[in-house]
Amino acid sequence: MTLETVGFAGVAVVLLAASLGVVLTPNLFHSVLWLAAALVATGGVFLLLDAPFLFGVQLLLYAGGVVTIVVFAIMLTERLAGRTIRQASRYLVNGAVLSAAVFIGVAGFLVQAPAVTGRPALAGDLTVAVGRALVGPFALVLELLGVLLVIALLGALYFARSEP
Amino acid sequence: MPLGAYLTLAAAVFAIGLFGVLTRRNAVGILLGIELMLNAVNINLVAFARFSGDLGGIIFTLFTIAITVAEVAVGLAIVIVIFRVRRTVEADHLDLLRG
Amino acid sequence: MSFRVGSAMVALLVLALPFVSFLLLALVRPLRRSAVAAGTTSIAFMVAAVGAAFWLSWRSVPRALLQSPSTTWTWIPADGGPMATVGVMVDEKSMAMCMLVTFVSLMVQLYSWAYLHDEPRTSLGRYYAYHSLFAFSMLGLVLAPTFIQMFVFWELVGLCSYLLIGYWYDRPSAARAAVKAFWITKLGDLGFVTGIVMLWVAAGTFDFWDLFRLANTGGLPREGMPLIMFLIYLGAVGKSAQFPLHIWLPDAMEGPTPVSALIHAATMVTAGVFLVTRAFPLFLLVPDVLTLIAWVGAFTALLAASMACVENDIKRVLAYSTVSQLGYMMAAAGAESPAAGFNHLLTHGVFKALLFLGAGVVIHVFHTNDIFRMGGLRAQPLIWVPFVLATLALAGVPPLPGFFTKEAILGGVLEAHLTVPFAMLALTAFLTAFYMFRVVFLTFFRPGLGDSHAHHHVPPLMSLVCWTLAAFTLASGVAMARQVLGSGQHGDAPPWLPAFSLALAGAGILLAWLTYQRQALDPARLSAALAPLDWAARRRYGIDAVFLGLYRVALLAFSRLVGWFDRYVVDGILNVLSAWTLRAGDRARRLQSGLPQDYVYGVAFGVLLLFVLAQWRLR
Repeated sequence: MTLETVGFAGVAVVLLAASLGVVLTPNLFHSVLWLAAALVATGGVFLLLDAPFLFGVQLLLYAGGVVTIVVFAIMLTERLAGRTIRQASRYLVNGAVLSAAVFIGVAGFLVQAPAVTGRPALAGDLTVAVGRALVGPFALVLELLGVLLVIALLGALYFARSEP
Repeated sequence: MPLGAYLTLAAAVFAIGLFGVLTRRNAVGILLGIELMLNAVNINLVAFARFSGDLGGIIFTLFTIAITVAEVAVGLAIVIVIFRVRRTVEADHLDLLRG
Repeated sequence: MSFRVGSAMVALLVLALPFVSFLLLALVRPLRRSAVAAGTTSIAFMVAAVGAAFWLSWRSVPRALLQSPSTTWTWIPADGGPMATVGVMVDEKSMAMCMLVTFVSLMVQLYSWAYLHDEPRTSLGRYYAYHSLFAFSMLGLVLAPTFIQMFVFWELVGLCSYLLIGYWYDRPSAARAAVKAFWITKLGDLGFVTGIVMLWVAAGTFDFWDLFRLANTGGLPREGMPLIMFLIYLGAVGKSAQFPLHIWLPDAMEGPTPVSALIHAATMVTAGVFLVTRAFPLFLLVPDVLTLIAWVGAFTALLAASMACVENDIKRVLAYSTVSQLGYMMAAAGAESPAAGFNHLLTHGVFKALLFLGAGVVIHVFHTNDIFRMGGLRAQPLIWVPFVLATLALAGVPPLPGFFTKEAILGGVLEAHLTVPFAMLALTAFLTAFYMFRVVFLTFFRPGLGDSHAHHHVPPLMSLVCWTLAAFTLASGVAMARQVLGSGQHGDAPPWLPAFSLALAGAGILLAWLTYQRQALDPARLSAALAPLDWAARRRYGIDAVFLGLYRVALLAFSRLVGWFDRYVVDGILNVLSAWTLRAGDRARRLQSGLPQDYVYGVAFGVLLLFVLAQWRLR
């Protein structure tokens, strides 16, 4: 039992439990909290995969930013509605069947693929390499991403404006 | 752990997220399901990047995270506007595209 | 007749003139709306046509026996020679018919001008348009060099007959009569077209001259010919009102009298006889069919004559008389003397037209068709002389043409050793004289109505036409007499025949005189003596009833069945298909629920499908 195996098992359990929590909890606010847990668990997976930079980004943006935004949105819609929105899900069986089918479909491919166990050696610090790549070959994409974020900002501002 | 384990984990999270999208009534709930699905995709990307030594997966993950954030922001803004207009965020009531 | 051939170009001119008149009247509305202009146009073109026809005969040249009188151009092309041609066949028969058709048409059109004077102006334009079309169609028929061209004009002539019989289309009886004429002749035409096509299949050509050559050289198959020629004869049965398709002709009298004179006496009905005469070399190959033609012709003649004896309507009497004479002509053809029949056709055309036009005069005077309501015109020879002249011609009294031609027919029939038909025809001759003079005595000489009025006014144009035709009849009769006397003997007929036919005519006239003029014999006792025959004849022997019954039972029932099938099966299938489509569309529409989650379902299904596809490809 290597450390990695134990770590993986633990993170996997947490992630799956949290995901189930997200989709099954009747209370929407609880759902968001479960999502936060799931996002942190995902960060743990990134750590196991030798990507500490991504772990940091995940915690900052996802667990920090997205969860905050969603909480705000829930509060606004709940506040405006004046009551707690109950989550009564519809057609649970259908959804379960379809999701299970999709999982089985993907898993089917996975069992057919040859097993890959060995990881190649790390070539230096990953973070530095990522940084270099971002301002190197992927510079254009980075700039476009910036433009996208500006557009999203503008869009959100437009939607959020007060009615004339 | 072999690559397959990470990929299977990602597939499971993806399926759970899909279940959430399909069954949640609240529009925000649906968005949470979408978050899970995107998360699973990220796990996939990083796993492949690590096991093949290709840095591209990691870069891609950064980009997807950024885009996801933007999408969540705009999506929630839309949900709020819908709520302002129609006084509901229940997905069952948002059927204006009905044929 | 000597073998002569005429110029194709002049023949085309004869054909074109009435056609141009028809086109003008059909297309140029102001021309048609004004009766004066319409009548003038039609009559003028007809005069030109008469002139052209005369020129055609005048300038004809003798032709060698094997020289084709046809001039044709390709119509329907095919490999190895055209499938069908159009053109003109200008031999002695066509030229004679051209003269007859154009001349009688002109006379009738002139007469119509006065007879239909009370018609609304616009109707008269339509009338003359139909007349022009008819002249064109009939000329096309007689000038046709192929079976198929003849058939086309045959149908056109039938159409004109329908249009002209139903000229007063707002009269239900006229409309019914027109449809009846069309239907019955169509029955015959079915046989005609079937026969033509079968002949083409057997021989490969529609052209008369080619067919005659094949017939002479034995190039036509033996087995199928009787059926083919019988079918072609059926067309003549319909058109020339032979038994049992004779029933349309008496009803066709619903049309105006000049129309009856033209197409139901002189021209259209003779088309059947013309067909048999034209195709005679082919009929020679099938002597059984010829015998049938002779028997049917003789029987028709007798049947019609018996029905004419009990008719009160003057036009109906003349109609039956026409049927009877057509039977004579067909019998002549059947007895292998087509020339005798054809001569009778030509002369009969003139004096029968005269009879009808003369009847039109008395109808105009008395405003009724019933001969029992006429009389007392003894003092006005202007009215009765032409009619009586024509009656004598019809009865067969020399020196009028009817005597010579009828005697030729009787001689031909006797020569062919067809004794029963001969007896029938002889009896018919007697009856013809009887019923025609019955009409004459009752219409003109009976003391009655006319005496109270001093003088009846007859439009001069009508009188002029009648007297012209009468002069023609007399002149042709005299010419025939001179020819016969000049040649010394006539054919191989037995020497007692002329006296015999004269005796028959005389006996008929005598009987009529005694019964209706002298009142020595009571007509009621006569009919009582022949009671069963009289009863049957008055009811037209029930033949009309048979046709009506067949129509009601067979045809209408079949139509109803077809209608049911169309409504419930054909429409039903279409309605079901459309209903299913609509229902399917309604159901499919539910896919678009407007709910995004349902669309995600769709995407997920699509992804699953892709998985399946990929797995299948991997194998």
